[in-house]
Amino acid sequence: MRPVYALGAGAHPWGKWPEKPQLQLALEAMSAALADAGIVWTEVQGLVAASSRFEGGMGWGLHANEVVQAVAEQGIPCINVGGACAAGAIALQTAHALVASGQYDVVAALGAERMPKGFIPRPPGSADDRSDNDFLRWVAMGATNPAYWAIEARRRQHEHGTSERTLAQASALMRRNAGGNRLARYRDPISEEDVLASPMVADPLHLLQICPVSDGAAAVILGSEEFVRRSGKAAVRVAGCAVGSGQFGDPARRIPTISSTVREGVAHTSEVTGAVRAAFELAGIGPEDVDLLEMADNSAWHILAWPELFGFYEPGQGDWMLEQGKLAIGGELAINPSGGFLSFGEATTAQALLQVSEVLWQLRGEAHGHQVPDAKVGMTAVLGLGANGGSVILTR
Amino acid sequence: MGKAAERFVVEGLVEQTPAGPRLIGSRCRGCGTTYFPQKASCPNPACTDKAPVAALLPDQGTLYSYTVQRYQPPPLFRMDGWEPYLLGLVDMGDGLQVMGMLTGVKEQEVRIGMTLQLVTEPLYCDDDGTAVLTYKFTPAGTAL
Repeated sequence: MRPVYALGAGAHPWGKWPEKPQLQLALEAMSAALADAGIVWTEVQGLVAASSRFEGGMGWGLHANEVVQAVAEQGIPCINVGGACAAGAIALQTAHALVASGQYDVVAALGAERMPKGFIPRPPGSADDRSDNDFLRWVAMGATNPAYWAIEARRRQHEHGTSERTLAQASALMRRNAGGNRLARYRDPISEEDVLASPMVADPLHLLQICPVSDGAAAVILGSEEFVRRSGKAAVRVAGCAVGSGQFGDPARRIPTISSTVREGVAHTSEVTGAVRAAFELAGIGPEDVDLLEMADNSAWHILAWPELFGFYEPGQGDWMLEQGKLAIGGELAINPSGGFLSFGEATTAQALLQVSEVLWQLRGEAHGHQVPDAKVGMTAVLGLGANGGSVILTR
Repeated sequence: MGKAAERFVVEGLVEQTPAGPRLIGSRCRGCGTTYFPQKASCPNPACTDKAPVAALLPDQGTLYSYTVQRYQPPPLFRMDGWEPYLLGLVDMGDGLQVMGMLTGVKEQEVRIGMTLQLVTEPLYCDDDGTAVLTYKFTPAGTAL
């Protein structure tokens, strides 16, 4: 493999944009990414789109083909990858492979999403029988996504004594980070009291402790060393890039299944921890080298638990790290300086690419208003339905 | 009992035995792993036989964790007289954890580690009057 660099990134601000079609969100993100990379469409040699959210390929999504047909019909390969909420990471992995192999010099990865309101319902088209987990969880018990996260959070309270206040502090930190990020949807500061006063959705998680859904789009352009030199920008390298799927025996309460078969010694959320470990190996670094982590905080529980799962510190230590301010911008390990999913709301297929965009801007020192001081190594981690995990490490 | 028509929310999930309801899972004849619901194959990568056969799960388990579903789920879920309900994750032994609604217990009485008994209860009545049942868990000793 030859070295691959992040040439540029662009994003459409997250929010609700009923007047803008998904394609428009995508085109604006791509235009911003091209400008950021200092290149034009004719230099783009391939486009990978994170295009689908669900097992079986159903759901929402945007195809790379729609984008080039709208804006640049130039014969380039258009690759559309699924992977649910991890699709953006899989798109980046694919774009990375295309450049690393030497076949192409500039490849863009893109995700654009307009989400339906409220709890994410089951997509149409699958079988109404017991072979379909997403059918079962609705008809047999009405388990919404936050219920799964709440069950994890409740168990953490039991095992580690995590307090309601600490869980509230996680949300407050995300909102504080988002305050300086023009791309985030929710930027007003919130206190722990605000979090605890928000409606209970699934105990112990309140409304302000679970990620809403949003519309958004993000694009990242990868390229060879020659292109990053030409751009005149800081050379930010994709030092590690990996995707993974789940391990047998994983104890995670995996949406939308209604059971887990748990085996001793198997990592929790193994699809993500596996990708993180693989990314570390490729980059030849470890958790101690990372300045910032952009991770999928679908709930406040994730902020506490995920860095522990990745080996940043011991299980149960996340509470103390948060309470001591060590996870804030300027702390030991900045978690989601962007504001995270809790402040953006999830635009599924676009989310992992927004994470990589954020890390790129952080490493260039361009994360105005929410900059991690002297950031040199940044990592992303994301989880998608169907036990998809992805992780990317950028270094400068 | 048995006067009004009854059916389960989905076929093949629960068996009514003379001794009470049991969840229908699979046990792999190759590696011995238990699954719920029934599996078409065996996802244990080390298993070379891949031979799951239908198996009834134990009718009791211990509560591993729980939450309260405070908001009404999207329309595929149906329940007469909707109100928030407890959802539990129950350890059925052999490493198998099963999610389900809890019944016959107040939120403040729920304890992780408590022993729970499998029961069935109607969720709603169909338009033709058929009672549609699901499985639930209730504190052991209170099921009768």
